[in-house]
Amino acid sequence: MYKETILKKFEPRLDNILYILHELQDNNEQHYVSKEDLKLCADYLSVPYSFVHGVATFYTMFSLTPRGRNIIRLCDSPPCHLMGSGSLLDYLKNKLKIDVGETTKDGVFTLELTSCLGVCGVAPALMMNNATIGKLTPEKVDAILEERRKSL
Amino acid sequence: MTKEKKLSITIDNRTVEVRPHLTILEAARTHNIYIPSLCAMEHLPSYGACRLCVVEVDGLRGFPTSCTTPVEDGMVIRTDTGEIRTLRQEVLKLLLSEHPASCLFCTEQDECKDYQGTIRKAGVITGCRYCPNDTRCELQQVTERIGLTETSYPVYYRNFPVEKNDPFYDRDYNLCILCGRCVRVCNSVRLNGTLSFKQRGKITTVGPAFDRTHLEAGCEFCGACVTVCPTGALSTKTSKWYGKPDKEVATTCVYCPVGCTLKLQVRKSEVLDVLPDYNSALDHGFICVKGRFAVPEYVHSSFRIPVPQRITPLGYNDISWDEAIAEAAERLAGVKPDSFLMMVSPQLTNEDLFVAQQFARQIIGSDQIGSPLLYDLGADTGPFVNLVSQSSAFDVIDDAEAVLAIGFDSTYDYAPIGIGTKKAAQRGAVLVTINSCDTNLDMLSEMAFTCGTEKWSALVGLLTGASAQGAAPLFPTWKKDIAGIQGIFKKSTRKVIIAGPGLLAAPQRTEIIEKLLKVKEKGGWDIIVAHPYSNLKGMLAMGAFHGIKTGAIINENGQAEGVKGDLSKFDLTKGCTVIYAVGVSDLDSLPDCDYLIYQNALPSESQRRPDLLLPAALFTESSGTVINGEGRILPVNKAVEPYRSAKPDWWILNAIGERIKKGVMKYAQVQSVQKEIAKTIKGFPGVKKRLEFSRIDVKMKTPKGAPKMRKQGQFNYRGIPLEAVVKGMKAIEERIELISGSNRGAI
Repeated sequence: MYKETILKKFEPRLDNILYILHELQDNNEQHYVSKEDLKLCADYLSVPYSFVHGVATFYTMFSLTPRGRNIIRLCDSPPCHLMGSGSLLDYLKNKLKIDVGETTKDGVFTLELTSCLGVCGVAPALMMNNATIGKLTPEKVDAILEERRKSL
Repeated sequence: MTKEKKLSITIDNRTVEVRPHLTILEAARTHNIYIPSLCAMEHLPSYGACRLCVVEVDGLRGFPTSCTTPVEDGMVIRTDTGEIRTLRQEVLKLLLSEHPASCLFCTEQDECKDYQGTIRKAGVITGCRYCPNDTRCELQQVTERIGLTETSYPVYYRNFPVEKNDPFYDRDYNLCILCGRCVRVCNSVRLNGTLSFKQRGKITTVGPAFDRTHLEAGCEFCGACVTVCPTGALSTKTSKWYGKPDKEVATTCVYCPVGCTLKLQVRKSEVLDVLPDYNSALDHGFICVKGRFAVPEYVHSSFRIPVPQRITPLGYNDISWDEAIAEAAERLAGVKPDSFLMMVSPQLTNEDLFVAQQFARQIIGSDQIGSPLLYDLGADTGPFVNLVSQSSAFDVIDDAEAVLAIGFDSTYDYAPIGIGTKKAAQRGAVLVTINSCDTNLDMLSEMAFTCGTEKWSALVGLLTGASAQGAAPLFPTWKKDIAGIQGIFKKSTRKVIIAGPGLLAAPQRTEIIEKLLKVKEKGGWDIIVAHPYSNLKGMLAMGAFHGIKTGAIINENGQAEGVKGDLSKFDLTKGCTVIYAVGVSDLDSLPDCDYLIYQNALPSESQRRPDLLLPAALFTESSGTVINGEGRILPVNKAVEPYRSAKPDWWILNAIGERIKKGVMKYAQVQSVQKEIAKTIKGFPGVKKRLEFSRIDVKMKTPKGAPKMRKQGQFNYRGIPLEAVVKGMKAIEERIELISGSNRGAI
């Protein structure tokens, strides 16, 4: 089973907990850490289940609920906000018919907010999975979404 | 040992000498300098959450928190400057911006105090429903001390639902200030790990993973989190709103043979709550759910027998003590020694047990003294009491290299032994468990053997080297593991076996016990026995046991002579004229008789109806002593007056005995009983060190009508299952049932 292979990659030390959780999440088709994953991690590291749960809920990059194939993370830090990320958020919500933290019915997109991505020079910006895209306009957002849908 | 060099520091212009390795806060506290703090606590690791303990230190930037800054030689510290005071007020305001603060600033605060003590008070008078009103709110005290009378921030009410689903305590995380004391006590002191912070930011709460209840998450319900909580977020169900206790009485728990110190919180004639004693050398405050939560509901149960009662064709009639004593004496006078049977509970105090055996032997002239454990153990009683009398001190675990736990789980009982074992495993000792279901020690164990009880004997033999290697084919899958552990055990020198209550449910328990005794003798193992018969050692020492004289088993001079007991002629099935049951409630198992005296606090659940009911006082209502599992004499102290006309067991026995035969007992108070005991056990009850017990060799044969294996609740006091009177224990019994089926210590 792939999960055990992941665990074996790391020494059972507490400081590996974030690497393990990330790896488990990245290898999950639905981009989340499941209850079973947390349990496996807790058993592997010999720490209480509640501790791993506490870590996973503390960091926003982990999700405990299933997510879509593509994760949109729109920056809502002040520079992006000033450059209009607020209205972009409304646009995205309307277009995808979901709220922040939700997944589209077809399971293609999940919408999330994020803190500063460090590309304030090209604000407003978002991350589509691992790619950062700046100087957003509604048209550009449309194009990005279209491109992701096509690449399914 | 070289003496550690003391450090000289200056706190608030006072130069003081302190030990090294202290934090500034600890140093200040040892010199009675007050620094407010809500998260730091003795016995807990430093955390630095509340930020109230900030101080100024010369040479350090900003305002360090004194609970996380270690002292250094020559440090100059100021704890109470104007700037610090403003800073603390501001920090406290921020803390209170998420805490309903009406009770802290309410203008009717003083009047409110006068109304404390009625359940409806809070709601009716002030419209406030938060405070459990146990006057243990540290937040309130700190707010007063810091002198905050108003807050300039709007209060953000987090609107978490109050969690009331679990037994024993409620949780209202709207009052939580996230100091992390409960999380730390659960993880670093109790080594349980049920609690953790969940989420982040304003939605942070404390709890087990996901939305499981505490019961499902493996909470021990030790109540440590409730004890350390500085706010009203965690509160005991039974004692909240009762108000402030008048006094605190330290006593010894009689629910199991560990004998933890309990600090009873008493108001008028009621025990409201029980707190642990973190300074107790024996248990370090590691009390379990039974001691923490199961005392008040038991001792103040509404089912208690109020006055002596006599059976009539129409039911029970109340009678006076005089009539009751006269009737009992009349029935007992002239009864043939052979047709008398006295049944005593091993959960009575030494004094009660001593007077009971004197009653049987000197008043009636009979040696017919039995105990319910004969029903539980039958022909295995002999080896079992021998094992108990040779058990070691509990602290052998503290420096053990290898621990083998058989049928032992410390989730809901024997907590100090369990935590000692966990600590040993954490520091590197090899822990191996044998049980028929998962236990709370498995996570830290080198190997957990989970198998049916019928295989235990072979497994114990293999692991400890008590039997030849021949049984190995029984465990094909564990071949390697067993070999590995045999190797480790062979090499270790300080080895401990913990024999848990599960052992008593194993079919070959005698065989296992014999193996344990053998390896104790030859293999250098220490043995700790965790059994449900609290004062069994006291019972043996007092001689309240067929064929054993008072004090005979105490091995004062270290002569390993051994005592001979004889149960081979003792017949528990033969009909009697009179049976006298003291603290024993399984009446259906007793033989037939013409007259049955039932002396206990709560009515028996049996079908059989006793002829005379005598109300007895419980351990909170009478003084005495018990001898715990390691042989220490521990005091049981009276906290409240007995319920209605209840009397201590020794008093009742003494009164009836005096009526039958004058001049044998004549005990006016418990001290005179102790004086009598001191004639055989020197220095009783002031003996400081452990009493050494001799080997005991009880001649046995399988008793006629071999006693059946009884199936009943896990936890009993004086024969009454705790779950029958303590509501929360029922949930715990159900939980145990769910996890283990009927495997865990089923007697």
